[in-house]
Amino acid sequence: MNVHYPALLVIIPLLASFFISAAGWLRPVWCFPLAVAAMAGSLLVSLGLLVDVLLGIPGLYWFGGWPPPWGIYYRVDHLNTLVLVIIAAVGFVNLMAARPTVERDFPEKAGPFYTLYVLFVTGLLGMVVTGDAFNLYVLLEIAAITGYALIALGKGRAALSSLHYIFMGTIGACFYLLGVGYLYIVTGSLNMEDISRLLQPLHGSNVVIVAFVIMMVGIWLKMGFFPLHAWLPNAYTYAPSPVSSLVAPLMTKVMVYVMIRMILTVFTLDYAFLVLKLNDAVVWLAVIAIVAGSLLALAEKDVKRMLTYIVVAEVGYMVGGFWLGNRAGFTGAVLHIVNDALMTFCLFLAVGNIIHVKGNSRLESLSGLFRTMPWTMGALVVGALSIIGVPPTCGFFSKWYLLLGAIQSGHYGFLAALLGSSLVGVVLFFRIFEIGYFEPLGASHGPAHGEGGAAVREAPLGMLVPLWITALSLILVGLYTGEIVGRVIRHAIPEMML
Amino acid sequence: MKALGLIIVALVGAILVYATIDFPPFGDPESPASLHVSPRYLEKTLEETAVPNAVTSVLADYRSFDTMFETTVIFCAGVACFLLLRVPRRRPPAPRQFRHRLTGLTFRIKDGGEFVLPVREFEPVDSIWTPYDLIIETICRYLIPFIQIFGLYVIAHGHYSPGGGFQGGVILGASIILLSVSHNLRTALKRMGEKTSALFSPLGVLIYTGTGVLCLVLGYNFLDYQALAALLPGGPIMARSHGIFLVEVGVGMAVMGTMVWIFKNLASRGRYDEGL
Repeated sequence: MNVHYPALLVIIPLLASFFISAAGWLRPVWCFPLAVAAMAGSLLVSLGLLVDVLLGIPGLYWFGGWPPPWGIYYRVDHLNTLVLVIIAAVGFVNLMAARPTVERDFPEKAGPFYTLYVLFVTGLLGMVVTGDAFNLYVLLEIAAITGYALIALGKGRAALSSLHYIFMGTIGACFYLLGVGYLYIVTGSLNMEDISRLLQPLHGSNVVIVAFVIMMVGIWLKMGFFPLHAWLPNAYTYAPSPVSSLVAPLMTKVMVYVMIRMILTVFTLDYAFLVLKLNDAVVWLAVIAIVAGSLLALAEKDVKRMLTYIVVAEVGYMVGGFWLGNRAGFTGAVLHIVNDALMTFCLFLAVGNIIHVKGNSRLESLSGLFRTMPWTMGALVVGALSIIGVPPTCGFFSKWYLLLGAIQSGHYGFLAALLGSSLVGVVLFFRIFEIGYFEPLGASHGPAHGEGGAAVREAPLGMLVPLWITALSLILVGLYTGEIVGRVIRHAIPEMML
Repeated sequence: MKALGLIIVALVGAILVYATIDFPPFGDPESPASLHVSPRYLEKTLEETAVPNAVTSVLADYRSFDTMFETTVIFCAGVACFLLLRVPRRRPPAPRQFRHRLTGLTFRIKDGGEFVLPVREFEPVDSIWTPYDLIIETICRYLIPFIQIFGLYVIAHGHYSPGGGFQGGVILGASIILLSVSHNLRTALKRMGEKTSALFSPLGVLIYTGTGVLCLVLGYNFLDYQALAALLPGGPIMARSHGIFLVEVGVGMAVMGTMVWIFKNLASRGRYDEGL
């Protein structure tokens, strides 16, 4: 529709962030409305782009009017349009849910908080929409720096966890940048498609192999792929709840998207699957990630911390699904980026509500919550069923595609890991349901006991409505899986996989 | 654990060395990096952007969009420091010290103590106060205006010589920091308050982004400075040069504001009462 949509997608929130920052000094009451306007603007533009893609209108944008490879360009296609919508939607809905917590916990810092919040979403949107390898790094930096600051805002060990995350995240980003630098040395270009064209005769080069490996390790570090996940649980646990429900669902998924984009558009599937033949090894790594993430989640006594390990396991789903290298696996991986972002978002929002009311999310403080917080716990059930993979929630469908992919390529290790992790999910969440439903209120022995009893009430409406919008969207996305796969994801599958 | 770390470091090092085998020779004019996009930047920069300095034209025109986000990164850093370090002003006043302007005698007022002497003759000083140093203060006072003029020169002259918004902004920011180091934080705050530096930072990036939005409003692509030809004299090529200047000014302001802002937050541990 509008040719400027790809640019407006990031420029609206970017501009808004400057005004929010200034409003923090001049008119603090404007901060929140400005942030809402920015997120709403991005969401509308991303929906407009989705419509354009469905109609077959290419979303290309040359910044500064310079044609690629000289300038930077944005490109919206079937692969990234869904991811864009999910980022903008989660950013918008979570902002609504964030307000009560922000106003209670750090009212005097609302201005800088909303500024960084909006910039974080800007960074993620830019990373997904860009067609330039270096531009991706710059936006990765924006998302990373704002993410570190937002996470460090939490209580207790948040600052230390954030510092740990900074070290690991910086190494990851550096590795990515080093990869881009190596590619530039042998191709002289930063534009993704241009690099890909110039790389064709260079597939045997050591430089390209090292660039590929080091880039993958960097991206895996940022997404918390199992042996490189150590920063993730603490960072996401100690962050304030509005931050964990923003960062945890989005950051890891966006990095999965970046991995897929780099392989599809820059290195090409031929290179990753036929020249390097890494696929089997990476799928086994994913199997380890799923198993380890699920087992570590089982050992946790705190719901929020448990969720962070589920995130680690889910990363394994997507990485493994993509590296299976067949149609069903690819479809499952891309669909799971969307679904998993929504599922983890729903769960983190629900836990955020519990923390808002009870002050913590330890298992023992959940006792009797189905009676006092029925709406929050109801949404938690929907999210949990989706993680386990019960139809008609969306989690079932992406898991179905992943299973199908595992069977088609004969990778039974991955198949077993998927099924096993679903069973672990059942154990995990039914333990929560049991405590919440059957244990009487106030039977807990935790410190929450004193403030429990009659004082416990449902979370404010401003947090429940976003939570239920998300919970219902899980079912809705599940019901429309056929449409999503048939009209969008199917067109993103590269010809080699057909 | 240490041994494991050592092994990983050695492994990464070995991988990087392995890659160098296929590197083009050092300084090779025939290497891909100097044959693909860079020749156009070097050869056409004057006729396409009217800027003789190819570094500036690549930075602020061909790849201007990256630079806009690099400036935003600096802005993010400023906001992040503020968010994490700034202590809200609810704290009761700790022991304070005052110096008699004429005699140089220093008084210490205990927590909650009242100051009854005529305030005008006294000035507040820091608890780790180094004695008043005439030579350093005077020299810095004379030096700072020249540093600032040089900073402005570096911003303005980025088109022709090494320089530009980032470098000039750092010099401007450093001049305020020098004022704070040579005198004290309060003197620097009087010259450039917390609010001023905090507003300079987003305003600078806003000038950059705003230039881009202006191009968009005028019917061109974002950051396509040609559009400015409708507003500025000199035609579309000169408009690119002017556009670059505009965004360099924005970068300079953002860098200066952010540097001073971060410095104040770090030096006073977010309290803004005393510090370097």
